[in-house]
Amino acid sequence: MKRRKFIRDASGFISVPFFIRGLPMTAMGSHHLRQAIDEDNDKILVIIQMNGGNDGLNTIIPLDKYDILGNVRSNILIPESEVLNVSDNMGLHPSMSGLMSLYDDAQMTVVQDVGYPNQNRSHFRSIDIWTSGSPAELVWTTGWLGRYLEGLYPDYPIDYPNDEYPDPFALSIGSIVSETCQGTLVNYSLAISDPLSITPLSNEGQGSTPDTPYGRELEFLRTTIDQANAYGTVISAAAEMGSSSIEYGDSKLARQLQAIALLISGGLGTKIYIANIGGFDTHANQVEQGTTSTGIHAALLKDLSDAVYAFHEDLTSQGLEERVLTMTFSEFGRRIRSNGSNGTDHGTAAPMMFFGSCVSGGIIGDSPTLPDDPGVSDGVPMQYDFRSVYGSVLQDWFDIDVSVINAIFNAPYTYIPIVNRCNQTTPTDNIPSISGIEAYNFPNPFERLTTVAIASKGGPIRISLFNGMGHEIDIILDRTIASGELEIRYDGSHLVPGNYFCRVISNYGVKVFGMIKV
Amino acid sequence: MFLVSGNKEIIDYISVYETQYTAKKPETTAPFPSECPDTLDQYTGIWSKDQVAHLLRRTTYGSTIDDIRKAAMISMDQLIDILLEERPLPAEPINYYYDGDPAVPIGSTWVDRPYVRDNNELRVSRRRSLAGWTIGNLLNGGMHIREKLTLFWSNHFVTQGSVVRDPNFIYYNNNLLRAGALGNFRTLVERVTVNPAMLRYLNGNQNTRNSPNENYARELMELFTIGKGTLAAPGDYTTFTEQDVTEGAKILTGWIDTGFYYRDNQPAGSRFIANRHDRSTKQLSHRFNNAVVTNQNSSEYKFLIDIILQQDEVARFICRKLYRWFVYYDITDEVESLIIEPMAKIFRDNDYEVRPVLRALLSSRHFYNICSVGPMIKNPIDFIINHFVQFEIPVPEGIIESYQIWSRLSAVFEGFGMVYYEPPDVAGWKAYYQEPLYYRTWITAATLPLRQAFTNIMISGQAKIRDIILTMDPLNMIAQLDNPYSPDALIEELASYIYPVSLTPAQVAFLKEVLIPGLPDFEWTVEYNLHLSNPEDEATRRSVDAKLRVLLTTMLAMPEYYLS
Repeated sequence: MKRRKFIRDASGFISVPFFIRGLPMTAMGSHHLRQAIDEDNDKILVIIQMNGGNDGLNTIIPLDKYDILGNVRSNILIPESEVLNVSDNMGLHPSMSGLMSLYDDAQMTVVQDVGYPNQNRSHFRSIDIWTSGSPAELVWTTGWLGRYLEGLYPDYPIDYPNDEYPDPFALSIGSIVSETCQGTLVNYSLAISDPLSITPLSNEGQGSTPDTPYGRELEFLRTTIDQANAYGTVISAAAEMGSSSIEYGDSKLARQLQAIALLISGGLGTKIYIANIGGFDTHANQVEQGTTSTGIHAALLKDLSDAVYAFHEDLTSQGLEERVLTMTFSEFGRRIRSNGSNGTDHGTAAPMMFFGSCVSGGIIGDSPTLPDDPGVSDGVPMQYDFRSVYGSVLQDWFDIDVSVINAIFNAPYTYIPIVNRCNQTTPTDNIPSISGIEAYNFPNPFERLTTVAIASKGGPIRISLFNGMGHEIDIILDRTIASGELEIRYDGSHLVPGNYFCRVISNYGVKVFGMIKV
Repeated sequence: MFLVSGNKEIIDYISVYETQYTAKKPETTAPFPSECPDTLDQYTGIWSKDQVAHLLRRTTYGSTIDDIRKAAMISMDQLIDILLEERPLPAEPINYYYDGDPAVPIGSTWVDRPYVRDNNELRVSRRRSLAGWTIGNLLNGGMHIREKLTLFWSNHFVTQGSVVRDPNFIYYNNNLLRAGALGNFRTLVERVTVNPAMLRYLNGNQNTRNSPNENYARELMELFTIGKGTLAAPGDYTTFTEQDVTEGAKILTGWIDTGFYYRDNQPAGSRFIANRHDRSTKQLSHRFNNAVVTNQNSSEYKFLIDIILQQDEVARFICRKLYRWFVYYDITDEVESLIIEPMAKIFRDNDYEVRPVLRALLSSRHFYNICSVGPMIKNPIDFIINHFVQFEIPVPEGIIESYQIWSRLSAVFEGFGMVYYEPPDVAGWKAYYQEPLYYRTWITAATLPLRQAFTNIMISGQAKIRDIILTMDPLNMIAQLDNPYSPDALIEELASYIYPVSLTPAQVAFLKEVLIPGLPDFEWTVEYNLHLSNPEDEATRRSVDAKLRVLLTTMLAMPEYYLS
């Protein structure tokens, strides 16, 4: 039943000093990694990048927090009667009826409040973090999938494509390659805008290249032309072989997903596809004044929902649904409070969505933790680290060994059961029970001293304090503890009054709760 | 159930990872010839058409063979004087086709003229006109740096046409950048800050005392002036902090744009409304020496800009961007210390005047150094406009006809990934900031075929707009060469105008096979002379012309042509 296969030989792997030049894995012996992959794995990962920072609170709507939301974002709040309920306390934006039906069929999983410690609210920096998989404090110029692919195919693009690997490893639909697939020197994704019209390029009259910046760029151009030609042939062939009979609509995302469906259907061996939908930077006019279930954000979510639904139907009608996992990400969520322009400003964590017939189906994580009176700058605090999401996907979907994944992120990750056995039928409202850990503080609100009480199954525990901006500002406890109950006194006299979030992470779960300093 | 995967040393890992690693730059790539990167000192070496062509490729949207020859007859300083001289602004954009505009007859300008409610055709006609006007400016920029610099500023102080919408606003924004392109950076920042298009684009017009909007304050620091440094502490980016964004937003409150789509019969403009302004005292962070800003109403934004511009980092940040626009993307530690630092000093010493710093860069030893010649992948606008100018594609004389061609041309750019007024987001085009690809982002399996298709179509004479064939005249072009009679000399000389670096002998031999396949050299001389002695003979002219078109198609499909 379980598809996971274990690495045959990873000895010595983790001891390789893989942090060379600030770039993980450049010095890694490729043969170790080669043995770590399952050549029979035919799974495909489709990534939808939602550019601009999606407002998670208006996408997956926490109905149990409706009072708070009503106080601080009434000008953009979706009327409760219009929300598409998926459980007692969660609902989808009314534009997402397609996704609602996927959810009901257990073909959609939501991971709540994904982010990273020390949230950066710059679009570009945060996109870099999300695409590289780096901690917020480090600048990595490679992408998380790029490092994975570089470990497997370190010589790429020299002598690629070849008989063994005739297909591009990753395809970005559009005119720009994806930063998630950036390797140390070369990007592992190929950008194509229309798989049905690829023409061969001339690359004649090559001379030697001098050892100068000019020579370096010329070499890049020649290699890209050669590759585009070689891969263009197989892509065109797959596009011609493939079929797609579902009506997709004509949004940009719909066209991208349809192109992907065509190529998968045509048998292209590409493992990773990247599609893009932009416009989520909704500082102003996120909703129409007065009719909050319409407007810019509603239209974007409808495009997303319709396109993903059509894509899933298309794959299912061709019997391909078990091979494809689709996931979304966005560089950050938006703030809890709306602004005066019927919009929202850059925030912190947000839900990620997963689609396909092999997802666990349902909602992972607690309803977002919101303070009773959110500050102007407060975002939704993170529950799950995005690298844990990436790591869990790599582990369950591509059968990659844990030690390899740890190397890709230069850190261990927390396993999250996003992918499960295929073709379940009933969604689960709260997938991994968080009964493994309970935590709160008293008194709360507090002036100076407060006590954090936890009940856990023991093991390594880290309890840290985040401010409303998503910065980890204090570590309350960071050690291995015995199972049972524990109370820790915390002196918060140095804190400025306001809302804080306490995040407890252990081997048995994650817990986030609000703390108020007065 | 959750499991911490892999090793169980989560605690150890976290503490190691937090204490040990700080942001680090990847090491710079392999060293290049020892004379790189050289210095910012005045270049005193050979001054010939190769150096002239390099300077003109980087500063203009194209030069003909004749332009380069003439420019080589004056000194470097004289040529740079011309490139940087004062110039009048271009004529305002005109209504070139729409006869339903009550306020604007065909042939007249629509700038600051009323719109008609619900008349979408009128709006479309002005948008098209603006797009045409923009292409016209690029094509007619001549031997001057201003158009390239205007696009630089437009990629620095980004607004997006699709967001700003009103062509009148976009026009004012673009001309503001053009008028100030070679002027004072401080003045430019001040003007941009209250420019109506910018007020709309970054929500400055919604930034009020009761509901501050941080969008512009953040980008003012992060993208427009000082840049974002490494994270020194939560919310502290070394160069500025989150506190500065919040307080800066308050300083900038009170401004609105006026005359959007000529609303209230007003021209494009901006206005300060005192009761929207936050009159409290604002406190900046230690990154700005804990500066305190008391209420100064409509001049307060200038005070904030002055505080930011007191920091040395501003000049470095802007000079790095100029460097990446005019020289190369790879700012190594040596380039930083030998080129960027001295540029920044010049910039500061001249109170942020742009001319002196550009003059220093364009006349430096570093600029003409082997490492600076050729490694810039032309962006799509450069690639396409250059083709028209360099190969003297004839365009009609009349202004109406010109607009018709220009506005149709403006539709070509989208597939290439670069449309004027439409950078992908507020950071501008990735080619100028995204590590490690930089310029290489222009080149993908999707855009490469378009580049080859474009040159093929242009040279073959299939490019036609309104019955006008847009193609070069190869015979006219080679007539400007020193020696078009010998095939080797012809190819080498053509190459010296088309490519930044000369071809290898094997490449010349390959191209000669394209020109005269399987024939001895003298046959070219014979055929070409036959045409010269009977210029009226259409059959001879056509056969020589066709040979040259095949040669040029091949030459322009070579990736050397994509480099500048």
